[in-house]
Amino acid sequence: MRFFARRTAAALGALLLGSALLGPVTLAADVTDIGFVDQAALSNIPSFTAANKELAAYKAGLDRAFAKSMKGVHDQNTQARIAQEFQNKLIQHQHDLFAPLFDRARVAIASVASSKNLSVVVDKRIVIFGGQDVTNNVIDLLAGPGDPIPPVNTPPPSSVGFVDQTQIDALPKLKAANDDFQKFQTDQQQQAQAKMKNARTDADKQQVLKDYQGAVNDKQKQEIQPLVDATRSAISDVAKKRGLLLVIDRTNLIYGGTDITTDVTSELK
Amino acid sequence: MLQASSSKRGPTGRARAALGIATIALAAGLGGCAGGASSNATDASKSGAASRIGYVRMDELVKVHPLYSQLARLDDDMQALQLRALGDNIARSGSDVAQEERTLQRELDAAAAQTKKALDGKEQEYNRREQAAIAAALGAGASATGPGGQQIAGGVQAAANEQALAVEKAANQNLDAYRNELIKQDEDAEHSLQSSLSQRALREYGAQADRLEKAEADFALQEASDDSAERLSLRTKLANLALDDASHADVKAQLDALEKKEADALGAMKNRDQATLVALQKRLHDDSETELNAQVAQIRKRTMAKIGERAADTRKDVIGQLGRLNTGPGGVAVPGGVSPDMKAKLVALHAKFQHDFNGDASKTLAQFQKTRADLTRRFQELAGVDAGAQAGAGKEMDALQRQRGDLYNQMVAQIGREVRVLAEQRGINVVVSDIVAPAGGVDLTADVEKDIESLHE
Repeated sequence: MRFFARRTAAALGALLLGSALLGPVTLAADVTDIGFVDQAALSNIPSFTAANKELAAYKAGLDRAFAKSMKGVHDQNTQARIAQEFQNKLIQHQHDLFAPLFDRARVAIASVASSKNLSVVVDKRIVIFGGQDVTNNVIDLLAGPGDPIPPVNTPPPSSVGFVDQTQIDALPKLKAANDDFQKFQTDQQQQAQAKMKNARTDADKQQVLKDYQGAVNDKQKQEIQPLVDATRSAISDVAKKRGLLLVIDRTNLIYGGTDITTDVTSELK
Repeated sequence: MLQASSSKRGPTGRARAALGIATIALAAGLGGCAGGASSNATDASKSGAASRIGYVRMDELVKVHPLYSQLARLDDDMQALQLRALGDNIARSGSDVAQEERTLQRELDAAAAQTKKALDGKEQEYNRREQAAIAAALGAGASATGPGGQQIAGGVQAAANEQALAVEKAANQNLDAYRNELIKQDEDAEHSLQSSLSQRALREYGAQADRLEKAEADFALQEASDDSAERLSLRTKLANLALDDASHADVKAQLDALEKKEADALGAMKNRDQATLVALQKRLHDDSETELNAQVAQIRKRTMAKIGERAADTRKDVIGQLGRLNTGPGGVAVPGGVSPDMKAKLVALHAKFQHDFNGDASKTLAQFQKTRADLTRRFQELAGVDAGAQAGAGKEMDALQRQRGDLYNQMVAQIGREVRVLAEQRGINVVVSDIVAPAGGVDLTADVEKDIESLHE
């Protein structure tokens, strides 16, 4: 009897020791709430490829009509107006084709994320290791009969935050700096293009390129980098206050996450 | 533009565009799905999870990768091409273009004819003056054995041939130097790669060997622990002096059997582990070799393409230079049979007239180049930029982007494998890149950077 008791105790001890050794990995794998989707794979499902084909055919027809409309038109304003009209047509058609597909995909992703208790789903491109790949689950749901059913619950609070960079870039001081830099870069590019045309040897061309890169990099360091640093610092501060672990860009986020854009823009104002 | 996570050498917008309309549209479309938890949502305080989420700054890691020099070169090539490419222009109707093109062509033809005439005239004039000077020099230093006009003419041709050979030789030397430089860079990159892959395989092998060794030690300990009561009992019996010989031998045999059972079990485990390690070693070797071969093949393909381009450029340059040589003043070559002093004098005379003619011709040509550049620009404006050049530049840009994309993906995949090994060692179960700002996650960048940098050695 005592022999069995000792054996049991030893076995329990070994089990506890094993759990302690394997603990971090095993537990982490169970509790992870970060998922990812391969958006390139989703774009290959039949409904998307069919929509793409249709859009390409529509664009080809539009290109022909555009060329016809531009014939004999010399006024730049008229040319710009016509180009804009055709561009709008293409965008509208793209929206008509893809909007219902996106809606369906969104619901499918939300449904899968909810069923797997994921607080956030990001683009596969930014995940180097770990996380739950839910691409196939989403594809299965989209390929199945009927429409996917939206989840009842909203996503749980996530330790992964996100910011909408376009909103941050639109802040007056950032926009002014950005515009100024863009203008500088365009000017430099034009000057470099002119010099490049006259450059005879490889060495001359290399020098033109080097000068151009140097000028743009210097400007970037002087005017843009301080703002980038300040923005990053503000985002970090807000993230820490909100108890977040990481902050990613909205373009890399597909579902869930904690939006801190408003807090960041307030801090930067 | 002001993104905090801006990755200079990362996948560019153009590279992403290569995924096609659908992917981009999908990314944009699905992006709107985010934001389920608003900024007012409950704070997600998960400090316990901090140790499980890591991140790396991919742009920094890419910069320390052994193949970064190649990536940077491709970036420079693309930027240079972009600078060389011509800007957008406005399309015009076919008849307008044709009419204006004809006018411009007439102007260009007239300018070219005028330049040619001027150059011909100058050439003749300089030739005449040079011949006169040479005749005067030869006459002044004439001796009974001096060379005749035929010999001088032969010398002229010989000198021209020599110049052509020199041009070709110099061009070939430049091409050889370029080729050798690229080959040397490739060799360096291949060595780095080979070292990187070997190190990775060694690390993986070492990690597995450590795991197995630990498991064996645990197993031995467990066995000893399981049998400890029985062993103690047998040893106590053996220590009993009152035990008769037969009983003593029996207990001794039981103890030996117990020891043998444990040793056999451990031995069997070690054999299995050894077989596992041998299989792992083979797999790692095969994987490394396959990956090395694939990457080396890509590196060489890129190099061959570059050398091919340069060789074509060199041929064009040589033809251009030889053409210029033929249209220059005939000058004089040093004929045989003249005294060293006379030779030096003739060479100096030739050099002087060559120099004078070149200077004069350069001015005429510069004027023509200016006129031609102006007309070319007007041609380009007229036709909405030379469609051929535009298409050629576009094709070249596409090829460069594809090369860059392939190379970047290779590098990121290799960095990813390093990250994976490190994350497993550190018990981190999710690692992401391209973050906007860190907060509480584990920054693995420095450690991965060290691993990658050590691969250069």
